[in-house]
Amino acid sequence: MIRRSIPTWLFIALAVAGVVVLLVSYELLSQRQTRINPKQTTIPSFEKLGDGVKRMFARQGSEENPKPAMFWTDMRATLWRLLFGLGVGVLASIVVGVMMGAYRWIEAPLSPIVMFLSKIPPTGMMPIYFAIAGTDQRMFTSMVALGIFFSMTQAIYQSVRDNVTDEAINKAYTLGASESEVIYEVIWKQILPNVIDCIRAQIGPAMIFLIAAEMVVSDAGLGYQIRMQSRVLNMNIVFVYLFVLGMIGVVAEYSLLWLRHRMCPWFKGA
Amino acid sequence: MRMVFQSRWRSALVASLCVGISIAAIGGCGGSKPASNGPSSASGGSAAQGGSAAVASSTAKPATFSLAWSEYPSWSIFGVADEVGLINGKEGEMGSIEKKYNVDIKLILATYDSCITLYGNSQADAVCITNIDILGAAGSRNSVGILPTSTSAGADACIVAGINSLEELAGKPTRGLEKSVSQYCFERCLEKLSKNPADFPFSQMDPEQAALAFQGKNDGINSIMVWNPFVMQSIRSRSDSKVLFSSETIPEEIIDMVVVGKDSLSKPGGEAFAKAVVETFYLMNKRMADPKTSDETLVGIGARFAKLELDDMKTIVQQTKFFSEPTDAVRLFADERFQKETMPLVSKFCVKYGLTTTPVELSFGDGKGLMDFSSKYVSGYLDSLKK
Repeated sequence: MIRRSIPTWLFIALAVAGVVVLLVSYELLSQRQTRINPKQTTIPSFEKLGDGVKRMFARQGSEENPKPAMFWTDMRATLWRLLFGLGVGVLASIVVGVMMGAYRWIEAPLSPIVMFLSKIPPTGMMPIYFAIAGTDQRMFTSMVALGIFFSMTQAIYQSVRDNVTDEAINKAYTLGASESEVIYEVIWKQILPNVIDCIRAQIGPAMIFLIAAEMVVSDAGLGYQIRMQSRVLNMNIVFVYLFVLGMIGVVAEYSLLWLRHRMCPWFKGA
Repeated sequence: MRMVFQSRWRSALVASLCVGISIAAIGGCGGSKPASNGPSSASGGSAAQGGSAAVASSTAKPATFSLAWSEYPSWSIFGVADEVGLINGKEGEMGSIEKKYNVDIKLILATYDSCITLYGNSQADAVCITNIDILGAAGSRNSVGILPTSTSAGADACIVAGINSLEELAGKPTRGLEKSVSQYCFERCLEKLSKNPADFPFSQMDPEQAALAFQGKNDGINSIMVWNPFVMQSIRSRSDSKVLFSSETIPEEIIDMVVVGKDSLSKPGGEAFAKAVVETFYLMNKRMADPKTSDETLVGIGARFAKLELDDMKTIVQQTKFFSEPTDAVRLFADERFQKETMPLVSKFCVKYGLTTTPVELSFGDGKGLMDFSSKYVSGYLDSLKK
């Protein structure tokens, strides 16, 4: 029967079994490839992946002048770009989105533009970002920030229109709230969990834009290293980097869920 | 408060992730054993395949072999060969050369570094690549260079704006494809010009994007190391730009060529495939030399090479010297300088930048090295001409 519950132990056992089957079939596939070409690097064995990890954390530079390992250099570059870009994009879209939802005279001129621009894939606009924003931090920031800005503004503005009832706003006015108090105490607090969910939904796209940009122009970062290592055929490093990208996504997802729960315990969302 | 984490599927997910990671760690120790058993069975398999190669007759359904190529004058030739019907790049369809050798050639057009990845991961049987980048790939797949197509004589260049001399370039970043033919050319030219490459920073950027950024006068991009068509386009579109140095400084060091995997060569039809590629290349060169078809062929190559027009293409083929006669290819692979100086230098470069961990064993025709430069197929074609 659809949605019939199963015992917790069975659920956990099946979840573990899924992972085990995935890993075992990966190893079998790797062995099969190795039998075809003993020197293959396409599907590295777990041993080779271990070598990849070692190389990622191997010391760089000389004794007198040590540099951080490859992995840390890349992580630092990518995380900084991602967080900074997300920060700028999220702040801007909250301000614009809330204003559009609150005032018709802001909504009218902006909504068609925001709606249209949110449909253009930001990766396609990369050459324009290069031309306008150069190739440094500014470009990565505008890539990520503008990449998520339009669709997030659209979502926040929708959320203000759909989730904040006229009754709530009128009640606040009746109780003597000022305009700014209505925006903060009623609108903002009501949509906060939706905003957090919006950020959750935008982390994936933000990472796509950032990695795509790093693949084209950058001399450090996860995207740069994935392109470089795949060209020199060190797939054992590429696979570990992809795993790390997945983990960044998982960590971000749970942190935001935790944050939403912490800040809006009343919210019973998805 | 903690309701989020109490939900069942989430805790299960976290648990399975933890278990997964620990299994991956354990697997890391156990994985080596079965893998080391691989080579013996693998060599048995390929020997059997090699044996059946001779049996393949002209009546059997032809085997398909793929050639990955990127837009470059002496490689775009294969795209034009598809247009004039010598070969048909679609899988399962045959051009006249394919029929002659009873082999189906599938052409895969991709960017340069995608071609390398495709070839290295055995997704293509053959690839158009330079003698520098192939060494990285040969580390994971035994390879045979069957055909040198051209050599860069100005087609790879360092283009600058607002910089007038090598002294002024020192300390300023040059953008280009790192750990590749571009960086090799950059460093070798500087060495030849009596400079220390360590004083000249080189940083990664996709060559096409670097050229675009340079042409758009982006901040901080005043020096780029790129190949044609980007060299020509960049010089054209910025009047304040000039070539600071180019591959003219290092003649016959950068060799563009066609490389086939040894595994693919030993498959049934593999040898026929190599012969077909060689013949196609020389027939196309004849079309370029023949006054009747020359312009038309150049225009065809131009259409597959950054959409360049005839006049531009005439400049391009001067900066990229084609090995248009079979004798050129035989001479190059037998050349002492190529064997004893150029390739060892390239090999050193590859180790320095981690393309390979140890120098790749090279051989020149005897097939012993991981990377063999063999003029066997070109000589075979020469012999067939004499008959």
